[in-house]
Amino acid sequence: MSVASPGTAKLWEQNAFPRHRIQWCPGCGDFGVLAALKMALVRMGVMPHEVLLVGGIGCSGQTRNYLNGNGFHGTHGGPLGYALGAKMVDPGLTVIALAGDGDTLAIGMESFIHVCRRDPAMALILMNNGVYGLTRGQDSPTTGLGKIMEEHTEEHPPFVDPARLAITAGATFVAQSFSGDPKHCADVYVEAFRHPGFALVNDFSPCVTYNKFNTSNWYREHGEHIPEGHDPSDRAAAWALLDDFDRRGKLPLGIIYRAPRRKKAHARLPIWEEELTGIDPAPMFSAFR
Amino acid sequence: MVVNNLKLLVGGVQLRDAVTTVTDILGKLFVRAGLHVLAMERGYASTIYGAHQFDPLVVSATPPLSYGDDRTDILVALEHDANPDASIQPNRDTILRHGKNLKEGGVLIYDSSADAVETSELKARGVKVFPLAARQIAQRDLKMEVTKNTIVTGALLRLLEFDMDYALFGAYLEGRFLSKGRGVVDINLEAARRGRAAVEEILSSNGWDTIGYRLEPRPSALPNLLLTGNEAIGMGSVMAGCRFYSGYPITPATSILEFLEKHLPRYGGRVLQGQNERESIRAAIGASIAGVRSAVGSSGPGISLKVEEFGLSGATETPLVIIDTQRAGPATGMPTKSEQGDLAMAVYAGHGEIPRIVLSAGTIEECYSLAFEAFDLADKYQCPVFLLSDLTLTDGRKNLPQTFFTENQKPVVRHGLVRASDIEGDGYHRFAMTPSGISPRSIVGTPGAIFKVSGTEHDETGLITTDPSKRKAMVEKRMRKMQTYLREDAKPPQVFGSPDGVPLLAGWGSTKMPLLDAQARLRAEGTETCVVYFTHIWPFPVHLVAPLLRQGSELIVVEQNYAGQLADLIQQECLVETSRVLKYNGRPFYTADIAGGVRQVLAGGTRVVRVGEEAPDAAIVIVPEGD
Ligand code: SF4
Repeated sequence: MSVASPGTAKLWEQNAFPRHRIQWCPGCGDFGVLAALKMALVRMGVMPHEVLLVGGIGCSGQTRNYLNGNGFHGTHGGPLGYALGAKMVDPGLTVIALAGDGDTLAIGMESFIHVCRRDPAMALILMNNGVYGLTRGQDSPTTGLGKIMEEHTEEHPPFVDPARLAITAGATFVAQSFSGDPKHCADVYVEAFRHPGFALVNDFSPCVTYNKFNTSNWYREHGEHIPEGHDPSDRAAAWALLDDFDRRGKLPLGIIYRAPRRKKAHARLPIWEEELTGIDPAPMFSAFR
Repeated sequence: MVVNNLKLLVGGVQLRDAVTTVTDILGKLFVRAGLHVLAMERGYASTIYGAHQFDPLVVSATPPLSYGDDRTDILVALEHDANPDASIQPNRDTILRHGKNLKEGGVLIYDSSADAVETSELKARGVKVFPLAARQIAQRDLKMEVTKNTIVTGALLRLLEFDMDYALFGAYLEGRFLSKGRGVVDINLEAARRGRAAVEEILSSNGWDTIGYRLEPRPSALPNLLLTGNEAIGMGSVMAGCRFYSGYPITPATSILEFLEKHLPRYGGRVLQGQNERESIRAAIGASIAGVRSAVGSSGPGISLKVEEFGLSGATETPLVIIDTQRAGPATGMPTKSEQGDLAMAVYAGHGEIPRIVLSAGTIEECYSLAFEAFDLADKYQCPVFLLSDLTLTDGRKNLPQTFFTENQKPVVRHGLVRASDIEGDGYHRFAMTPSGISPRSIVGTPGAIFKVSGTEHDETGLITTDPSKRKAMVEKRMRKMQTYLREDAKPPQVFGSPDGVPLLAGWGSTKMPLLDAQARLRAEGTETCVVYFTHIWPFPVHLVAPLLRQGSELIVVEQNYAGQLADLIQQECLVETSRVLKYNGRPFYTADIAGGVRQVLAGGTRVVRVGEEAPDAAIVIVPEGD
């Protein structure tokens, strides 16, 4: 990873090439995520060519086009799969998946659970707004956050909590942020990018157009920074913290859980011709004789 | 006396009787002795334990054209217990199923530990019967039931008068078991001797000095390997520089996953067992984005699950090799039975239109060479490349000289990969318009060549667009790659014989072997034909195929599916009429199926022959025209 230089900051301040016109609604929470990403990447000192941004399908997935760095955009529910493959090839890359709650927790749920377990050293910024924005306002798996529901139906079940789910599934870094506070987001992102395993940042990023309940103000009222004394390496403490915040109807912001796993290092896989010369088939013969 | 030419079939209860231990050992010994082994018609069940399993082995002095007919010279029934459903009791499943295909003058060995079997019908046909109490000898005399198959092996070696001094067998045992102690080797040698003694008694009590078949070692200068089509695909992939492979367990593709899990790490690669079919293909696409040559393998149902990603690979111009080891569909179909039913899927599956290349292997050699080529083409054309194989090949084994793999090695060429030193200024455009349609491709980590890649329509720079003229240009750029492919890399079908004025027999996949065999048989009867066999199926090389097809008197397409998928494709692309010989009962094509089917088509009156359950010709069902 390169060392931060004055030039790096400029590179990340630049818009992406090619320059996409930003097409988010005015006030969309994703603007905050974009600003925070730039801050975090500048602070990391990585060069744009070393970064792979994998976008999901949805408004949030567009983030990759509004920011410098390589971008890949595939199928709905797919970002973590592509990111996993790329990271397994080249551990030196900074791989960041940028996806929404529909992409990650509905159609991409099986990927999400298993990537938590696999623990590749990459981050997912989950832009969670409790609604399908891009298809204009349908319920997502996180719809209903903070609402008191007297009764549920099959059509409208309780919401999914990605933080609890990630911890349960074996993720080693779980944090939350609110895109209305990009400075704090950036602090959290840097920790996520530096984490030597899979890092989930559940970022509350309001959809101002379609979610009239979880508004910016609502998040501002309900978000609360995790107290200084919290020990994120303690799983029981993380769970207790989530319980405590839930009980008080609050959303914890900051690092909830961080417990790096021992992992076997892996070199970059052979790519170039000069790394693929003189391949000797003989070691494969023994079983066939 | 038949020397060095026989088909041996070993049957038994799956898992319990360890059918393939006998065929694996014998296969290796025969190959070490310079004989040729072809074992393509493996029969096994998708359940693990208890079903009937069988494994035929063709042994010959020269490389056989195919596994021939469903006719057996030597039948070995490993099961010791009777099939309660048999009308004649007691009886063995293997005898009931395969006894009818035993040739006159053939040989039957069965485990008589529990009881003897009524075999007068077989004996009347001149079959020499050897009741061998292998399980009893193993349990009672050697106190080790697992040696029962070695007892059978010893009996077979004696009957075939092969390796009588156990020079080859002893060396095999030492190689395999010496690490577990001399005792393991010795008990196996003793078991073999017991098997020999038992059949020796039967020989002398019947006054036979031979069974009528014998195997003689042949001088062979070159060491040979006995391997499956999937192992050949695995080796071809390693040699092609594939360093990332992913797959979800599925029959019959799993053995590629297992082979590469074992070997790829030694070559610096990684293998991912996906948590589902989609994770597998997505990870392989991600790996390709990061620059490595990558592949994903599966079979029918798993391929269906990946279809959305074919379009992504095509639209994002991400190289990807997709290996489809076909099995009988649809849905779960028959997971352990062979079929060629996925051609239409490989050629068409997915919404929208993408450039794609479809290759199909018909022999174990082609599994290897086309795997190599698939990676090369994927790299060059930056699109999905399908490598089709079928279950007959995936599990079928054949001996190949080691030199096949060590000589004529081609270097890995990374086509069109941009390096930092190639970049001038800020002008790198990932999807640059080129006459060939192929744009220089950068991978993550290349300074100056940052890319924005998306399955959403985009312009040269990667910018998302719905602009009509840009859209049109980008569709044409992508599809232009297929024109380039047709010019530079498409291969004509392989032609065996002269096409002029004779019936053409067309085929693809594992049908190649019986096709060539049937051609020889028809020739012996005085019917000259020409075999036209396809490996490079899509984009369809019309310019290479159509003139050829017009030379023949008629075109009969032989394939293992109901509709005739290649025949449809040929008709569509070349505007020629086809007749069809089709088989879809799960068993591979036998030579008699094809020869009989062709005879019927040539006799007139039918355009479609659907092969019945039983070969040869008698059971072929003629379907009237119009079906
Ligand atoms: S629809 Fe919602 S999520 Fe999408 S851009 Fe508008 S505010 Fe943002």
